[in-house]
Amino acid sequence: MTQETRPSILKCEDLGVSYGAVPAVGRLDFDIRKGEFVAILGPSGCGKSSMLNVISGLRAPTRGRVHVKDQELFTPASKPPRLGYVFQSHRLLPWRTVRQNLEIALAASEVPRRDWEARIDEILSILHIAQFKDAWPMRLSGGQRQRVSIARALLVDPAYILMDEPLSTLDEVTARSLRQELTGICQRTDATVVFVTHSIREAVYLADRILILTRGPAEIFEDYTVPLERPRDYDDARISEVEADIVRRVQAPWGLSVEKEKAVA
Amino acid sequence: MPEMTLKSPPLPRGLLARSVDLGTSRISAAAVALISILIIWHAGSIVFRPWIPTIPSTFVEMGYDLTSRAFWGDFALTMGRVLAAFAAASIAGAVIGVLIGLNEKAEAFFQPLLALALAVPDPVYIIFAILAVGTGELAGFIALTVAVAPFVTNIVRSNVHARDTDLDEMAQVYHLPRGVRLAAVLFPQLVPAFLTAMRFSFALSWKLVVVVEALGQPDGIGAAIFNSFRLLRMREVAATAIIFIIAMQLLERGVLGRVEKKFLRWRD
Repeated sequence: MTQETRPSILKCEDLGVSYGAVPAVGRLDFDIRKGEFVAILGPSGCGKSSMLNVISGLRAPTRGRVHVKDQELFTPASKPPRLGYVFQSHRLLPWRTVRQNLEIALAASEVPRRDWEARIDEILSILHIAQFKDAWPMRLSGGQRQRVSIARALLVDPAYILMDEPLSTLDEVTARSLRQELTGICQRTDATVVFVTHSIREAVYLADRILILTRGPAEIFEDYTVPLERPRDYDDARISEVEADIVRRVQAPWGLSVEKEKAVA
Repeated sequence: MPEMTLKSPPLPRGLLARSVDLGTSRISAAAVALISILIIWHAGSIVFRPWIPTIPSTFVEMGYDLTSRAFWGDFALTMGRVLAAFAAASIAGAVIGVLIGLNEKAEAFFQPLLALALAVPDPVYIIFAILAVGTGELAGFIALTVAVAPFVTNIVRSNVHARDTDLDEMAQVYHLPRGVRLAAVLFPQLVPAFLTAMRFSFALSWKLVVVVEALGQPDGIGAAIFNSFRLLRMREVAATAIIFIIAMQLLERGVLGRVEKKFLRWRD
């Protein structure tokens, strides 16, 4: 099945968010299909968090519509979307072990209780943290905690997974290894991912498509399809070329100077 | 120019050695404090004789108390009152604290009442309770609960406000049911606050129970102390008070310390 023929998972039409008279999100129209890995790239303060709050079901938009699998959200009859969320910080409950943290997410899902144990074991081994099943989160490294957070997001049969700069707080070595694994895990599980990042290189490496936003209030400046086959190598010269191409494109709308451009690159 | 001498830098010291040093210095400080109290007591017993009893006579009296059935009867009665008041104040204070910490309307309603309750001196509650319901058990129970609960409420409320709202957001995103959010996300964050509130509540409860018993009860440790005072038997007053204080300290540190260790083991 080609990407175009796959069913729509998350569709936003004329989405706008304002705080009083102050607009945070200008107008967003996009459609994300089953199994796609879509990166959201935008300058700081452009309204990405407001957009995430809406598509995670935490806050109703001021204008427009959000559809999850053909069901419109924020209507009196609609249910909140079943999704996985990997936050910038892990947001695990420190007083619960890894397994208990995963169980609590499962308790609110539709996964039958008899399947929990096997499912937890499977996801932990995919993420190479099976040995930490009964550990307290405080005993884990930053990378291991973020793996648990990813496991929690994958466990609940989500319609889609939101990742809000999940690797930005990790050291570069850990981030590299997790980035590499993330692409493999998402392909294996056929997960639909919306990945917010500030790093153009990271977006190019991970995503099928990149939604490039304007400065706030956010609008879609370009829906960019990454012209690279998988698997990709983070240090590949072709990634650098695509990255440089995107930097050139966003230079004007993001108001980047040459120095800032270098910093972004 | 003064002659300078070169000293070799101090050797790096191990964690164990530093821990031992810290432990030793704490024990030394406690021993110095105890000796200081005994010296002051001894000096006081010479200057203010016979109103401050001597140390040996007080220890002898403590020995009599500890072997006396009447003392243990009073002790059991007082303990029952302390535990009843402590439990009622802790539960009521914690429930109201959580409620007003989570709900702005409830906070708007309770805030002035809380400010007033915290400002009223404790004996006022005791006097009003005795006048309202007589000198029975109920007066003490009501007075203590009303006096102690606002402090618990205040501690719990502050900690509900200071909770990690990122975890609330996580719970919302994963659609955790309300009961699970309270039991698994909110309450564990409040455990340190609950423990602080319980320590405070317990300490205040036993002190106030003694006052209530002295003012309005025919039995209990407070009544025993007051009777000894009326008969000017200061040795008995000191002995009873010391035993009771030691027992309460042991209970507070022993029981609450274990509870703390159990509920906060994930921090170790």
